[in-house]
Parts: sequence; C-alpha cells; structure tokens
Amino acid sequence: MGIKRDSPPLTRSQELWLLACAVLTLAPGVAHVPAWLLAAAAMALFWCAAIWWRRAALPPRWLLSFLVLAGTAGVFFTYRHFFGKDPGIALLILFLALKLLEMRRLRDGLAVVFLCYFLLLTHFLNEQGMDVAGLTLLALVVITAALSSLAHAGRHVVDHLRLSALMLAQAAPFMLVLFLLFPRVQGPLWGMPADAYSGMSGLSDSMTPGSISNLSLSGEIAFRARFEGEIPPKPQLYWRGPVLRLFDGRTWRSGIQQEKVSPGGTATESTVRYTVTLEPHNKPWLFALEMPLAPPSGAIVSREYQVLSKTPVRSRLRYDMQSHIGFVPGADEAETVLRRHLDLPGNNPRTRALAEQWRREAAQDEAVIRRMLDHFRMEQFFYTLTPPLLGENSIDQFLFETRRGFCEHYASAFVFAMRAAGIPARVVTGYQGGERNPVDGYLIVRQSDAHAWAEVWLEGKGWTRVDPTAAVAPNRIEAGLASAVPAGEPLPFLVRADLSWLKQLRFRWEAISNTWNQWVLGFDPQRQRELLSRLGMRQPDWKAMTAAMAVLCGLLLLGLTAWALHRRARIDPVQRAWNRLSRRLARIGLARQAWEGPADYTQRVAQARPELSPALAAIAGLYIDLRYGKLAGKEARRKLRGMIADLKIPPSQ
Amino acid sequence: MQPVAAFKRWLFRLYGPEPSPIVLTQRRVYVLPTRPGLAYAAALGLMLIGAINYNLSLGYALTFLLAGLGLVTLLHTFRNLVRIEISPGRVEPVFAGDAAHFGLQLHNRRRPGRFAIRLNLAGGEAVTTDLAPEASTAVNLPLPAHRRGWLRPGRVTLETRYPLCLVRAWSYVEPDLRCLVYPRPEASPPPLPLTAAGESGTARSGRGSEDFAGLRTHQPADSPRHVAWKAVAREQPLLTKQFSGAGTVQVWLDWDALPPDLGIEARLSRLTRWLLDAHAQGLAYGLRLPGREIPLGQGERQLQDCLEALALYGD
Amino acid sequence: MPYSPIDETIRHAGRIVLGKERQIRLALVCLLARGHLLIEDLPGVGKTILAHVLAKLLGLNFHRIQCTADMLPADIIGVSIYDRNTGGFQFHPGPIFAQLILVDEINRATPKSQSALLEAMEEHQVTCEGETRPLPDPFFVIATQNPSHQIGTFPLPESQLDRFLMRIDMGYPDREAERELLGGADRRDMVATLQPCMEPGELIELQRTVREVHVSEALIAYVQALAEHTRRSPEYETGLSPRAALALLRAARAWAMIDHRDLVLPEDIQAVLPAVAGHRLHPASGAPAASAADTAAALISAVPIP
Repeated sequence: MGIKRDSPPLTRSQELWLLACAVLTLAPGVAHVPAWLLAAAAMALFWCAAIWWRRAALPPRWLLSFLVLAGTAGVFFTYRHFFGKDPGIALLILFLALKLLEMRRLRDGLAVVFLCYFLLLTHFLNEQGMDVAGLTLLALVVITAALSSLAHAGRHVVDHLRLSALMLAQAAPFMLVLFLLFPRVQGPLWGMPADAYSGMSGLSDSMTPGSISNLSLSGEIAFRARFEGEIPPKPQLYWRGPVLRLFDGRTWRSGIQQEKVSPGGTATESTVRYTVTLEPHNKPWLFALEMPLAPPSGAIVSREYQVLSKTPVRSRLRYDMQSHIGFVPGADEAETVLRRHLDLPGNNPRTRALAEQWRREAAQDEAVIRRMLDHFRMEQFFYTLTPPLLGENSIDQFLFETRRGFCEHYASAFVFAMRAAGIPARVVTGYQGGERNPVDGYLIVRQSDAHAWAEVWLEGKGWTRVDPTAAVAPNRIEAGLASAVPAGEPLPFLVRADLSWLKQLRFRWEAISNTWNQWVLGFDPQRQRELLSRLGMRQPDWKAMTAAMAVLCGLLLLGLTAWALHRRARIDPVQRAWNRLSRRLARIGLARQAWEGPADYTQRVAQARPELSPALAAIAGLYIDLRYGKLAGKEARRKLRGMIADLKIPPSQ
Repeated sequence: MQPVAAFKRWLFRLYGPEPSPIVLTQRRVYVLPTRPGLAYAAALGLMLIGAINYNLSLGYALTFLLAGLGLVTLLHTFRNLVRIEISPGRVEPVFAGDAAHFGLQLHNRRRPGRFAIRLNLAGGEAVTTDLAPEASTAVNLPLPAHRRGWLRPGRVTLETRYPLCLVRAWSYVEPDLRCLVYPRPEASPPPLPLTAAGESGTARSGRGSEDFAGLRTHQPADSPRHVAWKAVAREQPLLTKQFSGAGTVQVWLDWDALPPDLGIEARLSRLTRWLLDAHAQGLAYGLRLPGREIPLGQGERQLQDCLEALALYGD
Repeated sequence: MPYSPIDETIRHAGRIVLGKERQIRLALVCLLARGHLLIEDLPGVGKTILAHVLAKLLGLNFHRIQCTADMLPADIIGVSIYDRNTGGFQFHPGPIFAQLILVDEINRATPKSQSALLEAMEEHQVTCEGETRPLPDPFFVIATQNPSHQIGTFPLPESQLDRFLMRIDMGYPDREAERELLGGADRRDMVATLQPCMEPGELIELQRTVREVHVSEALIAYVQALAEHTRRSPEYETGLSPRAALALLRAARAWAMIDHRDLVLPEDIQAVLPAVAGHRLHPASGAPAASAADTAAALISAVPIP
C-alpha cells in the first residue's frame, strides 16, 4: 500500500498463456464474424506468435494506433453503426487481437484476460447449445490458468491448469446458487437493436411455391409439446400457424388480424391440454392444435383462430394451451368476411375454367370439393420435395403441366379452385404431425413437419379443414414426411426412417438437449418462481430470493474458509499413536517434550509413576521398533494403537 | 497524522517487536480486492447487464461462475498467506551507506505450497519468494542503512496476490530484528598514524626470534645459527629457519589524538577507515575512545569488537 | 551380551580413569566410528592416561607425539635417509605410523606441521617424497589442546577442527573419584598391568558392525531438522555442514552400538551432539559465549523430534 510500483514486464511463458487464451476465446465465434475481421484477427494472432517465437520487438505504437483506427472504420463500414450486438462483438475482437500486439506489462496481460472473459459471453448471443457451453468451459479453464500464470510465472503448465480447474470447481456451487436464486428480470432492459434476432428460421406469413418444401429440408426443431395424457393420433395433429387469405397469383399472404371476441367453444372430453416449448422464430405467432380454445397469457386468439403473441418470439417460449380437436368454428361467419375469401386475381384461366365447370356440374359444395380431391387422386400427381419451378400462371402450370408438387402446391391449387367455384376458402400453414421422443415423452415437431392445408366454409358447418395433400400422399399425414416422399429425395438426415439406431441416438440426444433447453436456457422468471415454490419457498419474491442467496453463499464461503484453514497433518500413523500416548499422559502432567526421545520419555514417566513402567516399556519397545527400527506393517501398528488405547492411567494421588 | 497512525497501530496490532516465531493467524491476515480485482468486478457487472438484456441463460451462468471464482480467489489468496510462521534470521553488520540485509525465515507447516509471497520493509525493496509444502525458506530484506548504530527495520509487510491477481492478502509483522550499522569509513583519510603512536605504540620488526615460523631458502646474509641443519643432514638445500616475534606492528587508534576541530561523526568515520586499513595490513591494533579502551589485538574478533564500539559510540 | 568386549573395555578403563565414564564412552565411540578425537583441557586431568588405557585395552600399538614450535612435518611423518650400504634412500617412518597416536598440545605445532598431521588423519595415508604409504588400520588420533590462548600457540583453524569427529573436555574429577585417585595406586603402574580385551581384528570387525546399525527415515529427518535449525537460526554464526550432519549420524550409530542397540534413537543423537557439534558451532557475534554443552542443549531443546 502506498508504494507506487510499475507493472512488471511479462515473461515468455505468460505471453504464451495469453496467446493460447485468445485463440481459445476467439475459436467458438468464428462462424459469426465478418470474414475481413476474421482474417485480420488471425493475422494478428500469427504476428503475435511470430514475435514470440523469434523474440522480436513488438510493433510501434503509431502502427497499432493506425490499426485500431483502420479496424474501427472497417467495423463502421460493415455495420454502418457501432451500437448493437454485432458491431460490439467485432470491436471487442479487434481490441483483443490488437492488445496481443501490445503485451508488455502485467497490466496488458490482465486486460487481455478480462477481454477474453467478456468475449466468452458474446458467443452466447449467437448460440447457447451444450457444445458452445462445453467449449466455453474449456476456454474458461485456460483463461483462468493464464490469469494464475500472471500471478506466478514460474509454475508448471499442469499446475496452473490444475489450480484453475480446482478453483472453477469450487466456484461451481456459487454459480448454482446464484443461477437458481438470483432474482431474474425479464429482458430486455432497453430497446433491442434491430439485428439482434436475424437468422432464426420458421414459417413466415406468406407462402410461395417452394417456401415450405425448402423449410422441410431442415431437421431443426420448431417446438416441443408435452401433453397431459395421451398424445392424439397423428392425423389429428394439425398445428395451426399463419392463416393466408390474400393471393396475387403466386404468393399467399395473411390479412389483417383481429382479436376474436366471443369464445370459440367450450371444453369437452375432446379437449386436450398441453404445454408447448417454442423455439424462437422472431415472429409473433404461436402454434396450437386445431382449434385453440383460450390463449395463454400475453397472447390472443384471432378471428381466424390463430394464436398471436403480443411480441415476436425471440427467446424460447413456454406456454400452456388447450385445444378442442374436431371443433369447427365459423358457422356464423358474416357475409362480408366470406366475400373476402372469394377474391381471386385475374390469372390462371384454365384452372378457373375447370372449377367453373365443376360448379356447373355439381349442386352442392361438398360435391365440388370431392371432385377436386378425386382429380388429385385419379390423375398422375406426385408428391415431391423437389418440384419444378413454376412461372406466371403457377396454378395452371402445376395442375395441367408439371403435376409435381409439395403441400403448398396442392393447398394453393385447391383453395384457388374452390374460390373459383364460389366456395369461400383459405390456406392454413403450420405443422403437421410430430414425433414422440420415447426418452422423455415430449412430442417433437421439426421444420420438416411444416405443412400447408386448406379450409373451406360450408353452409351450416363453418370452416372445415380439407387437406389436399392427403389425397395425393395419404402417408404424409398418417406416418410423416419420410414415408410420403419417394426414396432418394434429399430428406433431412435425421428425419429418415431407415436408420433406427441413429434414431435412438438422436432421441437420446434430443431429450438431453430438451432438458438443457427447459432447465438451463429456458430458466426465466416464471420457471424460477415455479421451481422455488416447488422447493418449498412460500413467497418466492426478490426479497426472499436475495436472502436465500445470501445465506447459501455465506454457507458456501464458510465451508471454503474451513477448507482454507484446515491443516491436513501428514503424520506417520505410528507417530500419531505415540502422540496420543503423550496426550493421555498429559492428563497426569507427564506430557512429552517436543525434543524428548522415546527412551528418555518412558524413563521419566516410569520414574514418576513406577506402576506404569512395564506397560510403558512394552509400548515404547514396539514404538521404537516401528519408528526407528526395521519393523513395519499394519498388524504391528494396530497392536501399538491397541496397547496405547488399553493403557490404564490411574489419576495421580 | 498522529491519530491515523495510532488507529493503524491498533487495527493491525502493531505493538513493537514480537516474540518468535510469529504465526500469521487468520485474525491478522487482511484481504481486499486489488485494482484489477475491481476491474474484474466491473466487467462482471457489465456481463450481468448483457445477460439480462439479451436473456442469455448461459450468460447468467458464466457471470455467476466468474463471480464464484472471485469469491474462491479470495479464500485461495487468504490461504496462501495464513499460518505462515516467521522468525528472525541472520543479520550481518554493515557500514552506513550500504544496504542492510535482514534475514527472515518463513516456515510453511502445511501441505499446500505458498507462492509469490512478497515481503518488504518500509523504505526497502520488495522480495518475492515461494514456500514449498512443509518447508522453510530464508529471505533477505534489503534496507538502506543511513545512520550508524542499531538499525531497527520496524514492521515487515507480507503480501500475496496469488493465485489470480484479483485479491491482495497482506499482514504486518514486527520480528525482533536489528542490524548493527558501523560508521561509514572515511573516503580519503590521512594515512594510519603509525608514527604518531610514538611512545604508546611500539613498532617492532616483523622478524622476531622467539617462535619458529617456517623455513625459507638460505640467503648468504642469514645467520648460520638459523640454518636448518637437520635438513642439511637429509641432503636438502640450505634452508633458513624463520622465527616470528609475538607482535607484529602495533598501532593505537586514539580518539583524543585526532585533530580537535573534527566532529564526532567525522572522527568515527576516520577511525573506522583506519581500523579497516590496520586489519587489512595484518597489524595489531587497539582503540581508545572516551570512556572505553579496547586492548591491542588482531583478527576478525578484534575488528568486530572495535567496529561495534565505534558504531555504538554515544548510545 | 552381544558386544561384551566393549563392556569389558569400558569397565576396565573406568577403573583407572576414574569418574569419566562418559568421556571413555565417547572416546570409544569416536574410535568405533573411525573418527579422531580432540581433547581440550588443562594439563593433568588424565588425557594421556585415557589414551594409554584405550590403546592397551584394545590391543593397539601406541605412539605419542609431543608438539613443539620447532617440530617439522618430517618429525611426524618420517624421513627418507640415504643409505650408503644400499646406495638408495631408506624411509624411516615417523611416529605417525601407529594404530593409536596421542598428539599432545597440537596447538603448539606450527600450522605447517598441523596440516601435515591432519592430512594424514584424513587420508589414512602419508605422502613422502612422492611416495604414498598407507597408515595402519585401525588408525586413531587423540589430539590434545590447551584451551587458553597463550602467546606463541597456533589454535587449530575451523577447517582443521572439522577433521576431528569429536571434541571433548575431561573436566576435573568429582570429589569421590579424586579421593580414590589420590589414595589408590599409581595410574601408570595400573596401565602397565592391563590386558587387552580384544583380539586383533576384532576392533575392525566392530567398526564394520557400526555401519550396519539401522538408521530410519524418521531419524534422518531429525538430524536434518537439527542441521537446518543451525543454518537458519540467528543464534549461530555458521550452521552445521553436511559433513557435520554425517559425522553426527556416524557417531550416533556407534553410540547406539555400545548401548547394545541395532537402531539409532534420537537420544543417541542427543548424547553425541555436544561432542560432535560443539567445535563446529559458534554462537553468533553479540551473543554471550557459551560452552559446547550449553550450545548443544539449547539446540536440542529448540528442535522438536519429527
């Protein structure tokens, strides 16, 4: 204290440690960094390594200042601003890389380490999987070891790593306590930069030919559902997503959504209850089985029976749902609404003509629908993931020329034809089916389960679901995508049916990953409260949590203090027994002096208490043989302990 | 300043030299974060805000793990210093103007090794050392010695930032250490007062005749009485026996014989120089100070006695 | 009794050198440990008698060298003299060629002679005119030294002192022993009547046995702790050298053997410590001068037995 001292220069081993932790820190984020920055960082690292290897001088300050300016300008030209996640990370990476070229003193080393710690956090903005967590932990061990090497350069690499691992292991209980009990706040604390959630995939609110088949190529999980009771049979698992009404001849879009005023029905036996864990997709809609009864908190059910959240789903979301399977809504739909579902653009004349012809031939709406489905079934239509590209009159082209399509083609053509025949119809997108994970019982719905179907309004019945795909490829609905498309189509690897062992492995992995998602990544304020009340905390508010956190951390600290003060004596068991004798004799005032040898001691005791003499002589003889002679072995040691324990010391008169 | 110093004495229990061995019990080891430690805490705060803002569960986990690491470091640093035993070691006398080296012995009676323990005396340079498990080590703490007499270094600061530089544990001890500081020898003194010793000091020839000291080759001028005839009988070349007297040159270094206008320290400084010269030339010398006289003598012991008398003159 | 000749020797010696059993034992230990002995005491306390008695009882041939200032190394080692009959040099061995030598008042000899003697002691051989001659086995030197630093003496320097395994003092006899001494027969006559207690070669055998006395790890740790303490503590000017620690172990082994034990106890170390370490340890400057016994006692009580 008080003495001003300059920061000591770094040693070579410390420099190497810092280089290693920079590499480990930057490695997991490589995929999310602009290429020029990646190249620059790699060059800086190589430069630093070369300087280390050749014991060369560090670059001059003016050069570094120039590089900082150039890099900052580069970041600005890449992102056009400095605020937000990506430019922030880019700047941090830039600073870390350039700091490595400026490592002279301990202070610089500490700056590198702290930058590394901070950069580890930024990886989680992109990914929070278990693999990233594992890599981060590894990097953490190395960075901490580097920090310890800054405190003491002379120790061996293994010693630093061991110490670092030990300290992190000791820190883990604190992490657990804080993780569980730190009062969680639902972010964000301020407006999120616009680019925060780019790169999430999922259904959109428009549909063009090929959009769903593209999505189907992804094995990514869309959401998971856990049912109370049995999972309904597959043909009933229609997960309702965006409902599309507007058509411009090529693209279907949804119209303006309004909140439904009256409840769409009441709970009956066919009501299913389930919890959905939705992966973030940066869109406001939630998925529910047809038809949703009541919205979860913070969401609404629209007039088109679409469940909509008030904000886009940007983090994994869990919600409880109730659905009424087989419920047909909309029997009392207003005339104006129905008219909107008959709008058609002026193209696709052949389809329009065909539909009008059917209309003329059939009296009832149901007959027209049947006609259309029969058309799909009888003619040579193919269900395929790789349909040919379609031009201006996409529906004409599909129905009369290519005849190869995925669900969106069928749904689109069907709805078009129905409208042309004067039947109100619309496209519904969402997911169909799902797969039960036998390990944890969750139903997993993937992007490959994305689907599009149709709804037609029937007089007296309301909005009725018609799935034209089922006419072409009934297996798609009964058994899933894998059995429906012809062999050789490029299915997502994990969706294929034939690799059963792989499937087993996949189920297991996904169950673990789901647990991870549910309990680690999805541990939000709500989950925290649930868990704490289940653990018996009566009022899990922030006061109680803080108190519990303080108490538990205090206890952990006490435990660690005990460990720090604990003196592990490495005393030979023979010597321990002998010390015990001394302690016993101390009660009659005959403790051994620290420098007193065994023969002298026993002689002194025997003089003071002659009645102890024979027993003591035997004990001392055995002790001497064990400690100073060649006698060894457990048996003899046990005997010595026994003799000392059995020694009767009458209190002195 | 006075109340602050008094408070510090009370807080850190500094009550003068302590009996040895001094054990750094847990009550006298203090722990506080260092400046990098505060920076670390600030970085954790930022990370926590980031984790909250972006709802990063793993961000929370990382931040909390690092917070735990900070707490664990606290105890590791504490453990690195606690229960070290300190006892005073060797201290060699020095001349004023040189650095005194205070020996300290550190004992580690526990299994974990102690690392990067930094010791320093107020005003001296710091020394960093490690302590192997269940072992002892000796360190020498330098301190410039400015004035002759006993130099008491006062308290020793032991501190460590091991293992993560984030926390500083320190303790103050005051071992019973002192160093004898001889006066600084005068740089360019007048020559040894061999003649000035006059009637009190006798300068005798180095060639005595009483005690046999060895043989050397015969020179024509040597007395035939001193030829080693026994050796001649063994057909060896002529050798001359050498004898030495009991005393060689003797010199008295007298305080009162110095010029009267010389100050006390200047006198001591000159006497010190003369003592060293006399010793280096192998003379027998004695020292007369007001109220103290060290008889003629020779050798290390004599030198030490005389220098000690000069160092402590007036105490 | 396993080593009865030793007991016999001690018993017989004790009858002549009265009240000095500890010194007799130490001298014997020194001999058994193949070391040399320095006795520092006033004239007339029985140094010479002790040497004589030991030589007689152990069946060793005995020479005595009285050191003076004009003694030359050749007076100790011997000289080669030209023999006119053979036409070559004939080596006439000096008094050092004996199994037990008493070097009286070694501090009267000049440093040159001292070092010649001490080198011979160390090497167990002498080199004269380029020829190396072995000394007899066993070879045991008892040197005596006057404690008072008189003018004209050459006290043994530190490095030479280290060559003696032990330094002991005789001390005045106690009242009882002195009365017996004054009233009894002349000691020199009694020495003449003594019969050896050992066969030739038996002593060498015993010296070999000493090396087999068991030293445990715990004991080595104790010796180390003692040595380390002297090296670290400010109470001593210089600490015990590794050679001193070895000497301590050697002497303790012999002490254990004459105590009829085949293992060394800490007590053995403590028993030989004053004699072995006394002349190797010096209190630091400033501390009051203490006797070897006091220094050793302070050392023993400062170091716990591990």
